Amino acid sequence: MMTCKEIAELLLDYLDGNLPKEYCDIICQHINLCGPCLHYVESYQLTVKISRELPRTPMPHALVERLQAAWKEIQEMETREEQH
Amino acid sequence: MTIANVRIPDGKPNGAELTPELVFLEHGPRVYNLARRMLGNDADAEDVTQDVLLQVVRKLDTFRGEANLSTWLHRVTVNAALAHRRKRATRELREIPDPLELFTENGYHSQSPKPWSATPDLLAQNKETTELIEKAITELPEIYRDVYVLSDVEGVPNAQIGEMLGLTLPAVKSRLHRGRLLMRNALAPHFEKAEA
Ligand SMILES: [Zn+2]
Repeated sequence: MMTCKEIAELLLDYLDGNLPKEYCDIICQHINLCGPCLHYVESYQLTVKISRELPRTPMPHALVERLQAAWKEIQEMETREEQH
Repeated sequence: MTIANVRIPDGKPNGAELTPELVFLEHGPRVYNLARRMLGNDADAEDVTQDVLLQVVRKLDTFRGEANLSTWLHRVTVNAALAHRRKRATRELREIPDPLELFTENGYHSQSPKPWSATPDLLAQNKETTELIEKAITELPEIYRDVYVLSDVEGVPNAQIGEMLGLTLPAVKSRLHRGRLLMRNALAPHFEKAEA
């Protein structure tokens, strides 16, 4: 017998398929019979999925300009050093 | 010294010509977003992004031999963000929450979880929801946040995360699991279906 909390503690390894078969069977059985755990597992998986879907925020325009200016300065410095 | 345009083995058939401009435009957002999520602050993220991208374009010619550009960018960004945090020297004072406090002493759910109304593709297109998730990430304790962002947002394999953060694989997995549970708990009140 495993408690709901013990199931929660093992979720990462369970979902990665890294647990011995006996454990998997016990967890699988528990989830089939325990509504709260079923919803808990589903929401855990959903949390992982939506994090992977998060869009990237574009770099602020000012940062892009700062970068280009800094890069130009580095290049100019290097050219000057080469001339000396 | 001039910056050589190197061919990168990035999986494209012939490799791609990598110029500083290309690094800024195509890879800048990856660096910026990782720094922003690790540091939870736009100004700090901008400083770190500038440091990292200039460091990267100056070393483009040494990049040959690295298996994968995104791995390299992740590593440089993580180092820069951690260094920035140390420099800022703000210690997190808040107590690290226990993600399993939602269980009773006997191991039952103390607040019975309900099904979520949200689907992944719907979430990604909704700005309000995106902000909600970003905020939950920012509120994770740093020790869980770094691992969570690298693994579940950026998709970096656990073994590589361990190398970047100087953690054993079991430590990475344990922190990742706790980060996920805290994220789940933070999002649940927003996403659980109202009872009919
Ligand atoms: Zn249960």
